[in-house]
Amino acid sequence: MVKKRNQTAGERVFDYLNTFVLLIILAAVLYPLVFVLSASISDPQKVVSGQVWLWPEGLTLRGYEKVFHNGDILRGYINTILYTLAGTALNLLLTVMAAYPLSRRDLYGRGVVTAFFVFTMFFSGGLIPTYLLIKKLGMINTFWAMIIPGAVAVWNIVIMRTFFQQSIPRELEEAAEMDGGSNMTILLRIVLPLSMPILAVMTLFYSVGHWNAFFNALIYLTDRSKYPLQLILREILIQSQMSDMVQVSEESLAKSIMEAESIKYAVVIVANLPIFLLYPFLQRYFVKGITIGALKG
Amino acid sequence: MKRRKWMAGPMAFVLTGTLIAGCGDDAPAGGGSKESAAEINMNTSGMPITKQPVTLKMVAGKAPTTAPDWNNVMIWQEYEKMTNIHVDWEMIPTSSLTEKRNIMLAGGDYPDAFFTASIPNADLIKYGKQGVFIRLNDLIDKYAPNIKKLLDQYPDVRKGLTMPDGNIYSLPMILDPNFTSVLAGGKMWIRKEWLDKLGLSEPQTTDDFYNMLKAFKEKDPNGNGQADEIPHASMGIAGLINNLKGAWGLGNRGGKHPNVDVDPENGKLRFIPASPRYKEVLQYVHKLYEEGLINQDIFTLETNQFLAKGAQGIYGTMITTSPYTLMNQKGYIGQSALTGPHGDKIYSAVGSPLASAGAFVITDKNKHPEATMRWIDYLYSDEGSKMFFMGFKGQSYEELPNGEVKYTDEITNNPKGLTFEQALVKYVVWPGGGYPNIVRQKYFKGAEGLPESVEAAEKFSKFFPKEIWPSFSYTPEESERIAALEADINSYVNEMQAKFVSGKASFDEWDQYVATFKKMGLDEYMKIYTDAYNRYKQH
Amino acid sequence: MELCPGLFYGGSRAAICPRIAREVKAVLKPLSPLPSARIRTAKWWESRAAKSFRKYWQLYLLLFPVVVYFVIFHYIPMYGVQIAFKDFIATKGITGSPWVGFKHFERFFHGYYFWRLIKNTLGIGVYELVVGFPFPILLALLLNEVRVKWFKRTVQTVTYAPHFLSTVVLVGMLVIFLSPESGIVNHFLERLGGKPIAFMTEPGWFKTIYVFSGVWQQMGWGSIIYLAALTSIDPQLHEAARVDGAGRLQRIWHINLPGILPTIVILLILSTGSVLAVGFEKVFLMQNSLNMESSDVIATYVYRSGILGAEYSFSSAVGLFNSVVNFILLAVVNTIARKTGETSLW
Repeated sequence: MVKKRNQTAGERVFDYLNTFVLLIILAAVLYPLVFVLSASISDPQKVVSGQVWLWPEGLTLRGYEKVFHNGDILRGYINTILYTLAGTALNLLLTVMAAYPLSRRDLYGRGVVTAFFVFTMFFSGGLIPTYLLIKKLGMINTFWAMIIPGAVAVWNIVIMRTFFQQSIPRELEEAAEMDGGSNMTILLRIVLPLSMPILAVMTLFYSVGHWNAFFNALIYLTDRSKYPLQLILREILIQSQMSDMVQVSEESLAKSIMEAESIKYAVVIVANLPIFLLYPFLQRYFVKGITIGALKG
Repeated sequence: MKRRKWMAGPMAFVLTGTLIAGCGDDAPAGGGSKESAAEINMNTSGMPITKQPVTLKMVAGKAPTTAPDWNNVMIWQEYEKMTNIHVDWEMIPTSSLTEKRNIMLAGGDYPDAFFTASIPNADLIKYGKQGVFIRLNDLIDKYAPNIKKLLDQYPDVRKGLTMPDGNIYSLPMILDPNFTSVLAGGKMWIRKEWLDKLGLSEPQTTDDFYNMLKAFKEKDPNGNGQADEIPHASMGIAGLINNLKGAWGLGNRGGKHPNVDVDPENGKLRFIPASPRYKEVLQYVHKLYEEGLINQDIFTLETNQFLAKGAQGIYGTMITTSPYTLMNQKGYIGQSALTGPHGDKIYSAVGSPLASAGAFVITDKNKHPEATMRWIDYLYSDEGSKMFFMGFKGQSYEELPNGEVKYTDEITNNPKGLTFEQALVKYVVWPGGGYPNIVRQKYFKGAEGLPESVEAAEKFSKFFPKEIWPSFSYTPEESERIAALEADINSYVNEMQAKFVSGKASFDEWDQYVATFKKMGLDEYMKIYTDAYNRYKQH
Repeated sequence: MELCPGLFYGGSRAAICPRIAREVKAVLKPLSPLPSARIRTAKWWESRAAKSFRKYWQLYLLLFPVVVYFVIFHYIPMYGVQIAFKDFIATKGITGSPWVGFKHFERFFHGYYFWRLIKNTLGIGVYELVVGFPFPILLALLLNEVRVKWFKRTVQTVTYAPHFLSTVVLVGMLVIFLSPESGIVNHFLERLGGKPIAFMTEPGWFKTIYVFSGVWQQMGWGSIIYLAALTSIDPQLHEAARVDGAGRLQRIWHINLPGILPTIVILLILSTGSVLAVGFEKVFLMQNSLNMESSDVIATYVYRSGILGAEYSFSSAVGLFNSVVNFILLAVVNTIARKTGETSLW
């Protein structure tokens, strides 16, 4: 990869400064994260009264117990993994299918199509017409309802388009053209392999989106057995912001609010740990492509 | 990065109509004198309700604490055997209830009935007028003896339930007016041991209350040498103001109308936050705040922090439903109403027996409205209510020799480690509230039923306002205007309350403050309110 | 909007300075061997559109399904936008509900707090843009310079973690850390001789806390896209620059930044389109009666208006207003970008 080189004094200073700044950022970000971990295994009373500063106080696994006590969790995990895998695959496919053509500067109608897409980021018919449409298409309470609405994000199309425009040297494409390659060949043989970084990023973005999704499920799914993880977790997590706490028979709710404190943090960890690990896994794709070799060759 | 476009997502709200409604219009009851097939199938009294089995589809709002799937709860399974009516329950989490309801109505596939679905008054009148929620007046008279009895017994409930066009489109959640503890909800509690230690008696006047708080703060009643006592704690300043304002004669029509009551001097409606007496209340509370007698974080305190600190036993007084249930603190007694500087003694922080109007509606898709009415009516009866709250004898509750009922040990001390609610909701569905039924002391085993709560309520119930108004119902146009005006007016009330009490706004600005209300359309607001009130009186 | 620095490295000038590329082409064009093409009148099959279709027919085919998707799932339901101009009655449907024109908009504009809402919403939106936009870029640039792989990976992974915290947890932590009595921040303030500040109730602090906690949360996540863009910068450029004696900072400024400039510009344009869209949840959780004058935004106001339960049309109208303003802002910024550079949305 990067060859070892002799460093000038200036470079060394820069490196030290850089490391220093990054260490500060690291600490600033790390502290609250450790807090979340500690809070998830601490006595909720102590957390709330500010007695937990870094390390857990009053060790308890009660938060996690409550989370896993719910039999639906496993089902929720499985459903979410399914939705994420299928959904992301569809997303990537459609995004590339839109972004690549739009990245050709002499594609006629490019601006119009882009505007056509971007317009939908701002204007939408709203929940009711969309729901009625989904219903007409027979997708209510199906796996498809979790995948198809929102199958492409315009934001991501635009970003991917930018990447294709900028990061694939035109010389390579021109060379392929002259060799008689069709557009599809160029796309598949040259552009995509060189686009690992952006594909990795999009995989990450879409996967996280699916993983956190709950609104579609809330509206379109009626079968509990199809519920994704987030929906199940929301049910466990009783929000303590209910202002009519003093309503009749809500004291059972209020009693659980104390427990909700450690559950809150446990839920965050349980919900996000798997998807969080996706990035380190994808990091290896953030490498410089084979650009240099190809250019020279 | 994706952004959510729909502002209507988490806050999609229900609709407004432009139909003009006049009081006294009776929509035709429909149905001639010929009996329909459904009516023939039904027994007019006794169980089972129908001769041939009948299936109804109902949508239930699923609160976080209730059973996740009502199709698998004992109460409905047993009730089906009794009534011969099978109910297909569709559960909708309360967080998406409003959107889903809209969607169902828009798409035309709504159920036969909505149960515990928190339907707001505005919707009741709107869809009632459309005929989507059917008119229940005659059905109640003919087939609902228990409900009819309750409505006759409590005319205020009937009045609050009746929509501006004179019709009843829903069935209510009722709080037994004799169950004073549940009506009062959150109460003011005092730590008795500190009173005793300092040789004080229960405060009778607002001055007593002030002195007691001061003593708590300065005289170290918990004896640990530190001034760590918090004389008063609650969440949000509004609760405290609402609790105390009765001592200035404010809130003389009850807690469902925190900002409006009747001015005793001229009999007209009075807007409390702009009245001179209210200024005095704020000044009093401001003094308490300034002298550190109230928790300084009262404006931001969240439930979890409140309960955590309370469990440490450092609150001298607090406002909550039950210190024992919530914070494991024994030894708090309830405080009665205080006498204020002008000699008033009213306990105004009390709810109306009509807790909510839209607990149950029958839709026009229902082919068995009469049977449905009988089905729901039984739940309001004594045995039905007992079944709804307690479940089934020998399975979920036991009867003691003195006639009292209590839950079995399996529920209160579950051997498998389930919590109280988790064990309870295998049998019944009431946790979560908002249900069509009447809450009576003998069957309701929540915090408000505990001995200290009942005792506390007994003390101050004599000082309840003579007339307690339920929420008023408005015509659709009025609803819209009121919503718009209230959004601004209530915001201002809350903000200025906080500012006056915390000292960020000086009382010299009072006149400007009052004048601002006019600019916000207070006159229009009071006019609409008065119209609704007059309608209420007439019904 | 392009930087064409005075120093060039390596042979790929065109790749980093499009302006130069255009100039080069302009010089070369008159020498092209096909002058006759400019004298004949163009036939329709020689129009730009036709040429494009012939050359790219496969790509149009690829594009087609996506367009269809948008038509079905976004444009067909768009008739629902009318709700903003109607009094919605669910059982009558959107088309059957009565038309009321601008009633809801007028209600919104004539509200007592209208200007405050705009001020707060725009204030937060712009603040977020100005402060929050550069941070991920800076982080990416710095991270890119790290050569110790494990350190780079660790910092990357750790900084991107906060993105996954739910808003509820984030605000919960803010309350705990910033508490005047027991919070760690005030603890340090007092140690340094200062007085505790009630951060969460002072209107003056609200926007700052909102924005900086957002930066903290999203900085790592936002840097990912820039890191990906940085991987496509030719290392030869850096080599050549080193040989020419350029220091690290100079290399970052003249190579890295211009290299990711298109990405930056596009994201900037897109972000401008969210300025008025300050979200509901975080503000709602951080709001209290003491900081309202600084924390009341359009989203929370609409929520409050609906408490009585009747406001589908109203919230749609306000949402439409937001969308229109955002779209106009985006279009303006896009036009500026197009006029001043190569990169723009359309």
